[in-house]
Amino acid sequence: MSLLQEVWQAVKAIGTGMATVHKRVYEEAPTEFYPYVKPDLPPVSVQSLALVENEDGSERCIVCLQCERACPAQVITIERHRNPEGKGFLIDRFDIDLVNCMYCAACVEACPVSSIVTIQDFEMSTYDLRTLRADIDFLHEQARNSRQWYSPKFGVEIRTEDGRIEKAPPEMQPGGLAEILKPAEEVDS
Amino acid sequence: MSTMNLEPVPGRTDEMIVNMGPQHPATHGVLRVVLGLEGERITRAVPHIGYLHRNHEKIEEARTYPMVIPYTDRMDYVSGTQNELPFVLAIEDMLGVEVPDRARKIRTMFFELFRLASHLVWMGTAMLDLGAISPFLYTFWDREIILGIVEKTAGARMLPNYYTFGGVRRDVHPDFFKEVADLLDHLERRMVDYEHLVLESPVVHARTIGVGVLSKERAIARGVSGPVLRASGVAYDVRKAFPYDAYPDVEFEIPTSPDGDTYARFWVRFQEMYQSIRILRQLLELTPKTGPFKGKAPARIKPPAGERYRAVENSRGELGVFVISDGTDKPYRVKHRGAAFSNLQIIPDLFIGAKFSDAIAILSSLDPVFGEIDR
Amino acid sequence: MSQIPIPEDRHFRPRLFGYDPQKSRPWLERAVYSAYVFVFWLLVITTYAGVPALFGALGWDSGWGFVFMRALQVVLLFLLSAVLALLLILVLRKYLGKVQERFGPMHYGPAGGIQTIFDALKLLAKEDFVPAAADVLTFRLAPAVTFVASFAMFAVIPFASGWVLADTNVGLVYLIAVSTLSTYGVLLGGVSSGNKWALIGALRAGAQMVSYEIPLALVFLTVAVWSGTLSLSGIVDAQLGLWNFLPLALPFVLYVIASLAELKHIPFDFPEAESELIAGYNVEYSGMSFAFFFLAEFVELFLLPALIVVFFFGGWHGPLFGLEPGSLAAGALESLYFTLKTAVWVWIFLWIRATLPRYRDDQLMEFAWKAMIPLALFGLVLAAYMRLIWR
Repeated sequence: MSLLQEVWQAVKAIGTGMATVHKRVYEEAPTEFYPYVKPDLPPVSVQSLALVENEDGSERCIVCLQCERACPAQVITIERHRNPEGKGFLIDRFDIDLVNCMYCAACVEACPVSSIVTIQDFEMSTYDLRTLRADIDFLHEQARNSRQWYSPKFGVEIRTEDGRIEKAPPEMQPGGLAEILKPAEEVDS
Repeated sequence: MSTMNLEPVPGRTDEMIVNMGPQHPATHGVLRVVLGLEGERITRAVPHIGYLHRNHEKIEEARTYPMVIPYTDRMDYVSGTQNELPFVLAIEDMLGVEVPDRARKIRTMFFELFRLASHLVWMGTAMLDLGAISPFLYTFWDREIILGIVEKTAGARMLPNYYTFGGVRRDVHPDFFKEVADLLDHLERRMVDYEHLVLESPVVHARTIGVGVLSKERAIARGVSGPVLRASGVAYDVRKAFPYDAYPDVEFEIPTSPDGDTYARFWVRFQEMYQSIRILRQLLELTPKTGPFKGKAPARIKPPAGERYRAVENSRGELGVFVISDGTDKPYRVKHRGAAFSNLQIIPDLFIGAKFSDAIAILSSLDPVFGEIDR
Repeated sequence: MSQIPIPEDRHFRPRLFGYDPQKSRPWLERAVYSAYVFVFWLLVITTYAGVPALFGALGWDSGWGFVFMRALQVVLLFLLSAVLALLLILVLRKYLGKVQERFGPMHYGPAGGIQTIFDALKLLAKEDFVPAAADVLTFRLAPAVTFVASFAMFAVIPFASGWVLADTNVGLVYLIAVSTLSTYGVLLGGVSSGNKWALIGALRAGAQMVSYEIPLALVFLTVAVWSGTLSLSGIVDAQLGLWNFLPLALPFVLYVIASLAELKHIPFDFPEAESELIAGYNVEYSGMSFAFFFLAEFVELFLLPALIVVFFFGGWHGPLFGLEPGSLAAGALESLYFTLKTAVWVWIFLWIRATLPRYRDDQLMEFAWKAMIPLALFGLVLAAYMRLIWR
């Protein structure tokens, strides 16, 4: 009798399992149609790095080397010289080796002026790894091509239709909005 | 006793030396086991590791303390932020940094979310090793939801670099608590299906019950931890034994099983998922919706000279870190104690005498992740 | 370093024959499957009714003409099995996709309908590689042996009344003889590959065969005793009133389990267990050699459910709506019934594949020797007793 019960249990369990599997046929598949529809990534998502310029095309970066020091993978190489006309420094070289970069966004955390930012462009696949050794023009181009970017200091910024750079509205901002926006206003003023 | 490379025994023709891995579909990455097979029965087994060695501990000596955290992420890449916690806890101890209550609860929530994610990956791959294809895709979709929640807050999916000294790097997304609540509802529905497909399946019973029995004494002697240890009847859990973060504030049980076989390890992981859901439900109630997420940590992290060992209970067992500081901004030595690495040591014990198919089931029940084992 | 150009066109370009998969068009999928089934059905009608009618009209239905007719039918059956494999692979992938919360192939042709044709073209274009350690002659021979052994089972399958290549009165004996041969192909292929995984897979196939062959033969015997004939057409005819799966319930269940084992299908796919033996006996095969193993597998995935239908589900029987039995229309309808009944069983097999994990090989052997053989013997005695009483 116990043998029969065991067999019945086994048959019942297999039947339940098969029903469990088959009921998926009637459910909608959660597949994302990636090449046709671009995924809606959250604004804090770290997919690539970019170097933002000001609205007038001048450099936002003050070449303070904080990002170079903060980088755990040590892929950022910056060379600078003192500005002969005014104060501060000018960039000679700003390279990020995006192949060895591990996208931890430590440089973005470290940047005091939110010049280096994270963007959502993840389509960087290439046949030649050398193309991912980003120089300053590449990083500017990345920023020009993206409509929004994120840095912990300024929060999410968007580029409007007429080329101005604005703070994104609060509903686009990630958590801790008050903490994010407070130091940003100080820097702006 | 055994040499690194198994040599055929002279004059013995009934034993076949088979090289399983490092490119074998069921070795969860890059494990290589050299097996002596007598028909289907394993006579000798020598595991080889190190194919994913990236020299983490030495690199970490050359990095400042905040720069170490992203490297710890990359050890056990299936369970994300869980790796960051022991290092963060150790440095917080040395610095004497106060962690706000809300930050500790958020850290615990992420910790348990990644436990769910890791156990889901284990379930899918274990069933794939046993030959069932469908659960693999179901569990990976559920894990995708968890990773989506993590990405919305931390900015990355698998390697979030989210914890920091004194709390977490940024506040959770405004939708976080609602999304976690939805996820738990969804998972509770799906767990019923997983029970049907895994724990109740007679084929799984046939493949796992009584297979790869690890006795309590042997488990303790070999230093295994986590679900593998608890499946052998030892109720040791770092979360209860040495509580950290918000674990003293929540109620949960340590599921143990006296059997010690492969099925017991499956069962314990299932119960742990239920306990994780329970912990997360409590934390959803307990965590304040707004408040500080980061304590006051010094701008330049320079712990006083000294040493510290801190351990957490990650998805695979006791994940510890031993840090020696010499007072500079870089650690003098960082030693990671990997749970999967210690659990892997019982492979020769369990493999020898087992059938070849059993070896696959046993290996999947140990749930090794080679990022952590090879480091 | 110079400025790195960012490619202008980063957009995905839909491929040839592509369609927008976001538009859910289930009728399109059904139309694709129906088209395959229709081609299959047309080929069956041409093979079993068209060719004999043509040769009869030409007066070539005796002597060498008869030989040519059979040869032409065999060529058509080969085409048929190719269509069958294309359809079954597509259905397998689509169904597995659906139950696994994804879509399956969807980019080539309507609803991915011609994906498998491109897969076959890819296999044709690949290098047919022979490992250095392989025994070349045996290695080359093995896929042919497997395929021919599976394909030869077509000879006695009755698609409709009289629609059978060889309506021999020893059909069951022929089936046992031929179906066993396909294991030889697997054994030869695995042993000659010069690969340890393939060797283990081949030995597992051999061990598996001695497990399921005996219950399978005992079930054949039970069916023969119950129907009073060894001819497959005779067995189908004997089920006119009552399909066999009701009186022969126990042998029917045993037969389904043994068929799963013979198919090397989950939960008994030990010879190729991809998570254990990587791909088992066919791990060293590529190109068309591999394709023939594959073709054999899918021909068997049709033939074994077809045998279930022949033995237990009344073969081609179904309502004829007043059509005259033996006419072309009746034959076409009967073969459609047969195909659809088989399709249901193929689906059940795929469903099992989507659900269950894999047993261990010695567990099948234990089950076969300790449970299936006694039960099959019991079923045989019971069937003989019931036949004595009721017929």
